[in-house]
Amino acid sequence: MTDTRSNDPGNTGTEAGVGELFGDGGQFHAFFNDPRWALAIIRGTVLEAAHPQIGGALIDNSTFVTHPWRRLRNTVVSLQRMFGPDDEVRRREAARLNRLHARLRGTDAHDRPYDAMDPEVRAWVVATLFESGVTMCRLSGQPLEQDAIERLYAEFRAYLAVLDGDARHLPPTVQEFWPYYDRVVEERLENTEAMRVILYRLFDHLPAPPLLHGLPTLWAAGRALVGPLIGVITVASLPEPFRRRAGLPELPGAQTLMQSAYLAVGLARFLPDGLLRTDAVVDLLSLSPGSDDPRARTVSALRDRMKRAGALIRLITPLPPEEPDPDAGSAARRSAEEFFAAVLDQTGDGYLDWPDLAAMARELAGRLDLDEPEETRLYDAFAGWWRELQAALDTDGDGRVSAREYAVAVPSLAGPALIRVAEVLFDVTDTDGDQRVDADEYRALFRAGFRRDTAGADGTYTRGAFVRDFLAFMSGRERSTPYDPLLADA
Amino acid sequence: MACVMDGNGRWAARRSLPRTSGHLAAETTVIDVIEAARTAGVEWLSLYAFSTENWQRPSAEVDFLMRLVRRVVRKHAALLHARGIRCRFLGVADPRIPPALARDFADLMTLTGENRGMTLTVAFDHGGRRDIVAAARSLIRGGVPAEAVDERSFAAHLPFPDTPDVDLVIRTSGEQRISNFMLWQVAYAEWMFPPVLWPDFRAPHFVECLRAYQQRDRRFGGVAPDANGERRP
Repeated sequence: MTDTRSNDPGNTGTEAGVGELFGDGGQFHAFFNDPRWALAIIRGTVLEAAHPQIGGALIDNSTFVTHPWRRLRNTVVSLQRMFGPDDEVRRREAARLNRLHARLRGTDAHDRPYDAMDPEVRAWVVATLFESGVTMCRLSGQPLEQDAIERLYAEFRAYLAVLDGDARHLPPTVQEFWPYYDRVVEERLENTEAMRVILYRLFDHLPAPPLLHGLPTLWAAGRALVGPLIGVITVASLPEPFRRRAGLPELPGAQTLMQSAYLAVGLARFLPDGLLRTDAVVDLLSLSPGSDDPRARTVSALRDRMKRAGALIRLITPLPPEEPDPDAGSAARRSAEEFFAAVLDQTGDGYLDWPDLAAMARELAGRLDLDEPEETRLYDAFAGWWRELQAALDTDGDGRVSAREYAVAVPSLAGPALIRVAEVLFDVTDTDGDQRVDADEYRALFRAGFRRDTAGADGTYTRGAFVRDFLAFMSGRERSTPYDPLLADA
Repeated sequence: MACVMDGNGRWAARRSLPRTSGHLAAETTVIDVIEAARTAGVEWLSLYAFSTENWQRPSAEVDFLMRLVRRVVRKHAALLHARGIRCRFLGVADPRIPPALARDFADLMTLTGENRGMTLTVAFDHGGRRDIVAAARSLIRGGVPAEAVDERSFAAHLPFPDTPDVDLVIRTSGEQRISNFMLWQVAYAEWMFPPVLWPDFRAPHFVECLRAYQQRDRRFGGVAPDANGERRP
């Protein structure tokens, strides 16, 4: 579907138009804090995932099932950087995304290759974002003016151009966009596994955002109600031809429900300005209780209190005459299976595989905002660790490590390659190279200040202590380290 | 400061009671000493409750001790918390420790972790050598070069590295041994060996030991007696 007509330089939107297309005045910015985006993003992601190449890449590599809140925050931060006013920030973010995508290639379950750098694929991602934005306005009864649509389209094309160097794979005008869009929907999209996961599994099993970990029952109750509803609303908002092709259910009343949902959420525009800010909401959702953000402090003070109250209640409850020792283990350590699910299996498919470790490297590199060559060093260290793990743990030779294989062989985990990972992580965290992680460097990695027991006597964190703590987390399965919010929480 | 709680068995034997009743009687002393230390302004108190070697005792006694400790912990948890005492358990690594007890330990640490009063460290399933070995292991794992290891950086790898050196150790019952207790931290400690058995040890004995300690001339290996009695235990 390469569109050759757009070789015409006036349409590429790369050089001249960029400055005025991004920044605070853009159509995208006008949308950014619109709560309807919550619905539109889900819809857009489903349409993305229905593309076989993207679906394959998501299933293999993405951490959104196990760590959705972290993933959401990364996406929002990335969009903010890409659509922000600063060209240098945009250039760096595009380079980072390109490096990240270059690492995402492989073959899906049907042996079809996928490649996140394929320009056709990337054009489709941008197309779904644009179309979902336009459709969300239509569905909530306040369609955009034609020139607003054109401007939004130009902004998204410029976004693609910054990423790819040009926007050849998106038609140059909105008029040409719709036939392109319909064609992809009718010919390319499929009922992929990734799409089904988003529609039917993600929201039924959505883990609580880190701040709400203390309220598991409340969260589960709310989720049981809202989860299926989101599924129905999203299905009803998908293009009809695709619903037919993918064999998605048509429920009576679903259309009305969907439109009411969009309408209701759209009413939020009558709220006072600045009350709803996407970045604030997303920050809050991905905030980990250990961070020293004042909001987190409030909530985590509350949580700590609940934890202490729980401890107190357990301690003062009279013991049954002769307790038959339940399976309750020490809270400071977790079982091998638990650690496997919470930390190692980042993609949530039940197996430890390279994409899981790559996801860890990706998260760490993102946190530290690494450039080349540090990013590659980190990935290489993780790759070395993966080879070590595979050699030591993959007893049945299927190329990946199952939870059972891991649990059996756990004690032998802290090999030289893992130590290497710790050292490289220390090197890239220690940005000024003084062999100590100071408070600012620590904050970049963990988004929290030193704890009372972390820093040495001189207020810094030495290489030895850093490596020790990392290994304790990765092999000793120690809980309540600063790595928990980084790798284990949602 | 620290106490090695010795003499429970002998206390019971002198009264022709089973050894276990000596442990039962020790509970009162523990609470009394904690209270006395708090009143005297002691900021760090360690109690040696159970050593790694104590596992060799008859299993019935070990079982009894485990149940007793659990009961004591639960009984006094709320009180300790109300008194602003931060409780920690040093050791507690052996899989033989009943999970329920380990959970109570963890709960008590959670409950009192934010307290700013006296820090009470209970050495349970503790061995001083084991801690030193653990620190050495952690240094080696951390790939610290040999030249970079000094006393301070080594101490930072011990469990609860914020625990200061112990100034005074009281070992009851007149036994004069270290018994593998916090070996690293007692390097410059003054030792007292009151003949009284632990179940008979009370706040007045404790205060007496403190006073005697204040009279001592602590030189830390030097000759000038300038550090005499100024430091608070």
